Amino acid sequence: MSRIRAATFVFGAALGLVLAGCGGGTAAPEAPAETALSDQAALGELIFRDVSLSASGRQACASCHVESNAHSPDNALPAQFGGTLLDLQGGRSAPSARYLAFNTPFFFDGEGTATGGFFWDGRAASLQGQAREPFLNPVEMANTDAADVVAKLALAPYAGEFKRVFGADIFSRPADAFDRMALALQHYQLEDVEFRPFSSKYDEFLRGKVALSAQEQRGLALFNSPAKGNCAACHPSAKGADGSHPLFTDFTYDNLGLPRNMALARNADPAFFDLGLCARPAGDLAGRPDLCGAFKVPSLRNVARRQVLFHNGAFNSLKTALTFYVQRDTNPQKWYPLKPDGSVDKFNDLPDAYKANVNTTESPYNRRLGDAPALSDAEIDDVIAFLQTLSDGFSP
Amino acid sequence: MSSGGPASGVVVTLTTALALAPTAAFAIDYLSADQAAQLMFPQADRFEARTVTFDAEQLRRLEAAAGVSARSARWQVRVAQRAGATLGFVVVDDVIGKFELISYAVGIGADGAIRQVEVLSYRESHGHEIRLPAWRKQFVGKDSSAPLRVGEDIANISGATLSCSHVTEGVKRIVAVIELARQTGALA
Amino acid sequence: MTAQRSARPSNTHKRSIVLPRIRPTRIVAALALAAAGGAAVSQTPSEADLARKLEQLAAELAAVKAQLATLQQQRAAQAAASAPAVPAANAPAPAAETASPAAPATVWSSYGEIVYNRPTNKPENAQADLRRFVLGLQHRFDQKTKLVTELEVEHAVSSSSDPGEVEVEQAYVEHQLGNTWAARGGLFLIPIGLLNENHEPTAFYGVERNFVETAIIPTTWREGGVQMIGQFNNGIAVQTGISTGFDLTKWDATSSEGQESPLGSIHQELALAKARSLSWFGATNWRGVPGLLLGGGVFTGDATHSQATTRARVTLWDLHARWTPGRWDFSALYTRGTISNSAALNAALIGNPTLIPSAFDGQYVQAAYKVWSRQDYALSPFVRWERFNTGKSYADLGPGLTPDPLPTETVWTAGANFQLTPGVVVKADVQRFRRNKDNDRINLGLGWSF
Repeated sequence: MSRIRAATFVFGAALGLVLAGCGGGTAAPEAPAETALSDQAALGELIFRDVSLSASGRQACASCHVESNAHSPDNALPAQFGGTLLDLQGGRSAPSARYLAFNTPFFFDGEGTATGGFFWDGRAASLQGQAREPFLNPVEMANTDAADVVAKLALAPYAGEFKRVFGADIFSRPADAFDRMALALQHYQLEDVEFRPFSSKYDEFLRGKVALSAQEQRGLALFNSPAKGNCAACHPSAKGADGSHPLFTDFTYDNLGLPRNMALARNADPAFFDLGLCARPAGDLAGRPDLCGAFKVPSLRNVARRQVLFHNGAFNSLKTALTFYVQRDTNPQKWYPLKPDGSVDKFNDLPDAYKANVNTTESPYNRRLGDAPALSDAEIDDVIAFLQTLSDGFSP
Repeated sequence: MSSGGPASGVVVTLTTALALAPTAAFAIDYLSADQAAQLMFPQADRFEARTVTFDAEQLRRLEAAAGVSARSARWQVRVAQRAGATLGFVVVDDVIGKFELISYAVGIGADGAIRQVEVLSYRESHGHEIRLPAWRKQFVGKDSSAPLRVGEDIANISGATLSCSHVTEGVKRIVAVIELARQTGALA
Repeated sequence: MTAQRSARPSNTHKRSIVLPRIRPTRIVAALALAAAGGAAVSQTPSEADLARKLEQLAAELAAVKAQLATLQQQRAAQAAASAPAVPAANAPAPAAETASPAAPATVWSSYGEIVYNRPTNKPENAQADLRRFVLGLQHRFDQKTKLVTELEVEHAVSSSSDPGEVEVEQAYVEHQLGNTWAARGGLFLIPIGLLNENHEPTAFYGVERNFVETAIIPTTWREGGVQMIGQFNNGIAVQTGISTGFDLTKWDATSSEGQESPLGSIHQELALAKARSLSWFGATNWRGVPGLLLGGGVFTGDATHSQATTRARVTLWDLHARWTPGRWDFSALYTRGTISNSAALNAALIGNPTLIPSAFDGQYVQAAYKVWSRQDYALSPFVRWERFNTGKSYADLGPGLTPDPLPTETVWTAGANFQLTPGVVVKADVQRFRRNKDNDRINLGLGWSF
């Protein structure tokens, strides 16, 4: 029997040694190491930057998704200009093209929440589907049809490479060639780590390499607290159980009742309303009036690099945007015009029928006229300090 | 064990030899029935195997008196004898604890009081404490007038309530069987 | 208890049967001689006689061996027959064959609870639930080795759109190494607390399991690993082992689960469990005096598995006592859990409603008395006082950022267990909460276990 005891202790000691040898470690890096792009992705990179593929000859994807500005526009225009003469204003602001590798096609989740999809209204099911549209959009790259784009592609310096990769006869099949073009752009956006660098100060903080300043910490606390900013409810800030860093969006949709932006040309027509989800061109959500006015929750990564915020470019600074969030209902007169009878025309970017769709239940939108706003002015500055830690390219 | 020809005699010897030989190095079977009998009545010079059989009426009396089911009409009793005089009785029994059989032996004196309870084999994961002298000692000296119930005069082992209850019930049953057998004259 | 006493040789037992002795070794030797001799040389008549007699003896030996085997079986069956292996009346009856103590057996068991809760201040929240339905299957391979498994369905219906869950609660192999030690490997219950290893509805007082042993000790708490169990002759039972542990990387600061049960929200239940870091546990229980149990245990292990910026260790320990003199049943328990380095893990979660606590604890005392019993019926009223705090302290995160400790809750429970038969219990009780009066409730329950 003593032999059994001895064996047990040896066994236990051996296991103990094994466990003791398990050294500490940091989280696995979530930004993949730089690897060479595949042939399709390399073509995609060239196409992404190729201005010759537009009717104007001066506009490429990179024009509005500026690589040096976190693939976001680097001006304060509510919508970029396109068309043959670059004088036609678009309808919505250009989103950042970063961190979309984690997005999914549009679907309704188990609780019926609209999730996923590309564009502000989720109408494209993939990056490839999204890539097709700007080429043919009359107010963007303004090509007449797929053949038009492909004809320009055939004259590009990399056309030979395109034929090598997709087939020597690819240009004789313009529909397929257009498809491959969009596919190459998808490959590029999925493979190039520049589209998901996770190199912000907050990422380094999550890796334990750097500490947030006191103000940034306060900002993070206000961002997370359900009683204060409650931002994390739609813009999650916590690492996943698998160690993945947060994307600061849950890819769902929300209706914020933003003020109508008269700087958008199409808003000059008082009968026009950009209704978002329910007004998708395919008409698949026409029977869901409860979704009218809802737009995609964008990622807050690199939000401090933007000069125009929200789908209609209603605000040009984080300060005004955050102040709107907390004072929309406590001080509506700051944000909306007055009606002829002197009352505030709240949610004036929605027809009366859909004003009830606006989110008024989740904090901080659940305040009433005259209530104290969820965040004070100083607290908003704290949150902005935190949001500035979400910009890629941090070096200590 | 009944008598037979030489061959069966051989078998009996071999069986007995096997039974008394030390069992495997690990011994969930802690004692054999014969070893237990000897422990309980060390002065005995022989153990006579008797079968006690009750009829339906006697079984009813048994259950009414003891408050436990009779379970069987036939009981094997070893009568401990010295120089022809009866010292006492040993009954070997099995009950189920929670999942496994517990083999135990009850030694009862000629006066009907419990001499000793021994656990012969115990396989449950919990409740090994019923093998300890401290728990078994609770039975010593008790007869059919004692409640012999867990939670009354027999303490429980925490985590092994079923084993304790079933063994206690078994002991109570055996006490009642011997009592009835003595009353009916099946045992002298 | 080992058979150290000297075994008396059989021939001092004067039996009524006289035994001729045939020693098998002599027969073998004779047969060998016969084989050696008979093969080579042709036989003389006397040799032929000898050969014939040897053959006869060999045949008889074979017959004796066969009879021995039969008689052994009969003896075993007799031991079982004189005390039937399957007591019919009040049996925890195995459904399958159970012949002799040595025969392998497959045994079904089960327990289940149906409960009804009615909050007295919020009757609209009344609820009835088939809390759990458990099937257990034990299989004994041989005298030393058995398999113990348990499968549970919670809340009656389990599907993606229903609240129920199906889970394997236990699945381990137990092997008896000797008189004292046994080894277990697989998914087993951790020996901490009074309730975790003994959680059937017939084993505890009150409709619901007590809060200390659900919110602090996450009953039914099981891990996968190896365990050694030693049972000593002085009444001490020792259990120790190495197993999987908790996973702090799945702490959800946005939900309230971590406040309801910190360890319950991060247990892994051997479901694709992270196992970079294993945990160690040990427990000692003394039952030397009948009716008294004193014991304690500890469980400790890293819970970040090298997947967080810092290592953090989860430790839980408990001390417990149970005393059952006569008809009384007293129990008391104290348990405390700690999480190291929680400040570093909380740094990225500040502002969220549920941060990782650095300590949580609980304690209770309970008294029950079997006031009435007749045959198998028994009525045992009881009263229990318990106090627990799932967020007793938080590590300092800086001014204005460190969460306040959660308030301690105190619960009084008074009621009775009514036993219909040892395997079936009907329960009723009333619970009063010191802080959250919305939780005050009346509970009714039905449970079985066999």
